[in-house]
Amino acid sequence: MSDEAKLREESAGLMEYSVENLVPFGPIHPALKEPEYFKLILEGEKIVQVIPRIGYVHRGLEKAAESRPWVQNMYMFERTCGICSFVHSLCYGQAVEGLTIYEVPRRAKYIRLIISELERIHSHLLWVGLMGHWAGFETLFMWVWNDREVILDLVEAISGNRVHKSMNAFCGVRRDMPENMEDRIVERMKFITDRAHYYRDIIDSEETMLARTENVGNKINQETAQKLCAVGPMARYVGLRQDVRLNDPYAAYDEVPFDIVTRTEGDVRALLRLRLDELVVSANMISYAVKHLPEGPIRVKIAPIIPAGEHSSHCEAPRGEIFYYVKSTGGRTPDRVKSRQPTMANIPTALELLKGQTLADVPMVLTAIDPCFGCMDRMSFLDTESQKQWTWSGEQLRQYGIKHYFPERFDANRSKFKEAH
Amino acid sequence: MSESLLGQLQTYAAQSNSKVSMPRKGETFIEVDQDHIKDFISHLVNDFRILHLATITGLDLGENIGIIYHLSQDKDTIYVRSIVPKAKSTAVSIVEVIPGAILYEMEIHDLFGVTFTGNPWINQKLLLPDNWPADLPPPLLKTSKPAEIRKRLQLEVERK
Amino acid sequence: MPPRKVGAVIPEMFRLMLEKPTTEAYPYKPIQLPDRFRGKLDVDPEKCTGCQVCAVVCPAGVITMIDKGTRKVGDRELPVKRPLFDLSTCIFCGECVDNCAFRALELTKQFELATPNKADLIMRKTVES
Repeated sequence: MSDEAKLREESAGLMEYSVENLVPFGPIHPALKEPEYFKLILEGEKIVQVIPRIGYVHRGLEKAAESRPWVQNMYMFERTCGICSFVHSLCYGQAVEGLTIYEVPRRAKYIRLIISELERIHSHLLWVGLMGHWAGFETLFMWVWNDREVILDLVEAISGNRVHKSMNAFCGVRRDMPENMEDRIVERMKFITDRAHYYRDIIDSEETMLARTENVGNKINQETAQKLCAVGPMARYVGLRQDVRLNDPYAAYDEVPFDIVTRTEGDVRALLRLRLDELVVSANMISYAVKHLPEGPIRVKIAPIIPAGEHSSHCEAPRGEIFYYVKSTGGRTPDRVKSRQPTMANIPTALELLKGQTLADVPMVLTAIDPCFGCMDRMSFLDTESQKQWTWSGEQLRQYGIKHYFPERFDANRSKFKEAH
Repeated sequence: MSESLLGQLQTYAAQSNSKVSMPRKGETFIEVDQDHIKDFISHLVNDFRILHLATITGLDLGENIGIIYHLSQDKDTIYVRSIVPKAKSTAVSIVEVIPGAILYEMEIHDLFGVTFTGNPWINQKLLLPDNWPADLPPPLLKTSKPAEIRKRLQLEVERK
Repeated sequence: MPPRKVGAVIPEMFRLMLEKPTTEAYPYKPIQLPDRFRGKLDVDPEKCTGCQVCAVVCPAGVITMIDKGTRKVGDRELPVKRPLFDLSTCIFCGECVDNCAFRALELTKQFELATPNKADLIMRKTVES
């Protein structure tokens, strides 16, 4: 069968998937010559359908976990992601602790909460900087990443490393909080809160950010988000009160007072405001937890053999809900471990957000879901009106977006932009 | 889970020949066979209002492959399990009930070899590379060995 | 809609010009490390007894036990082993330090470990003594 006929046959079912059952769009030939992360199908300037292809950094962790002892898996799953590494080891630890008979001490729960919230602040600051970078506003990117160093210094003082904290153990934490950290943490949280208010002011009034984020992104309603199983900020920015910390509290979230943030406008600017507000809530939670830290042990040592059974656990990572399922047959190694990251649950929502948008808005919308894989490296495009196909790297797409919105800032000699049509 | 909800679930499950068990507080296990799975999940979503699907897990159970749907609502988790024999591994897709399940079913198709009828993207590969040999068993089955996968895909690295 | 301000960042620019720079002057000046920093592993050969607990718990496969003969206990000959550390695969987690009953292991503050020669990273202190 020729290549073209094979493509036609494979693409026959691609157009039928959508929430409102749109009419299929005639004979389409998606570019399948090279594997790409996203294939975008355009009509002129507007996007009609997006087809994802993921798995380029798939390392086979679920298969590798079946041949390693329980404790070694905790270090392996910590390295799934650099930014939410503590939450991954926490969720795996909670899923395994549910199969044993031991309880986690109260002081360990408070320390787990403090480190989780420090990670959340770090992740949101990093994301705000990235939005500035993709919008062409490099100054915001540099300043936000400067403030991020404050958080990384705190994490290094508590755990010894900036990224992989290695602080979790089954039924407890491995290291206690150092002496005399309380004043230092409270003062730093006040500093971070002031900076967050300042950045909120910038995104509400600065020309660059307003032009690129206001009314950008397909507006979806609550029912669509619920049916597409959106998690984390992607569910909260349309008004759903969905947060694992509130609905099913773990660690010390039932003892520390807080309230979650929701918004009702449906565009990218609402996501910026939502994440900056969540940052302030996290800073308040850390100040409260540090002042009310209970006394007691930090760890209960357990045997390396876990009894048979099945259990699952979920936690709220900075990007959404993480879910781990563990099955044990009573041995030294697990029988099955399933880990589901929040970005995978948000991909159908992201595809829905891109419909009807122009090509220059693609980087902002895709970064707005806070993806945790290198999806922006390569994208291929297919224009059904002019019948042209081309491939761009992420940098070329970013330069196209800047040129479209702010042509006076665009420097043709320094960019790698290549005219395609 | 409230007592009335659990009672209603047991009554409904008895009609479709399914078993309900609750080994731990807050977790409910239900076994459903393939003929009734779509109606069962549709009933849970539309009538009982248990709306959030966390993920779909595949399990290698020796002769069969187990497909577990994890649904959650506040503090309760419900595991709906359905068994599919390895010799004839086709299952019913629930994409019309919960559109967000499309990527999870594609992942089980790639890693366990189960085909979901009714899923429009089932013939697309999500995770496996294009040059995956057709006679190699799917990676997450117990009979598949990592050393053999590396050899067949020519991924061996010379160790000096 | 809030009023659009052009140049909202100018006051901030002046503040940052007067502060000291954020960039660390490393490697021209030494860098400050916190107390709990996890760097290269170090072992004390006097305290090590060859009990193999560190080799069993290491998640990265750094430690191999080498035979070093036997010793007489009562009327039996028991094997004597000592650990060999291949620090090129170490992930600096500290599991071996936490589990050593004789406090023979320690994570130091040394972090400049890059070398073109992999043999530099094999630590033989306990095997050769």
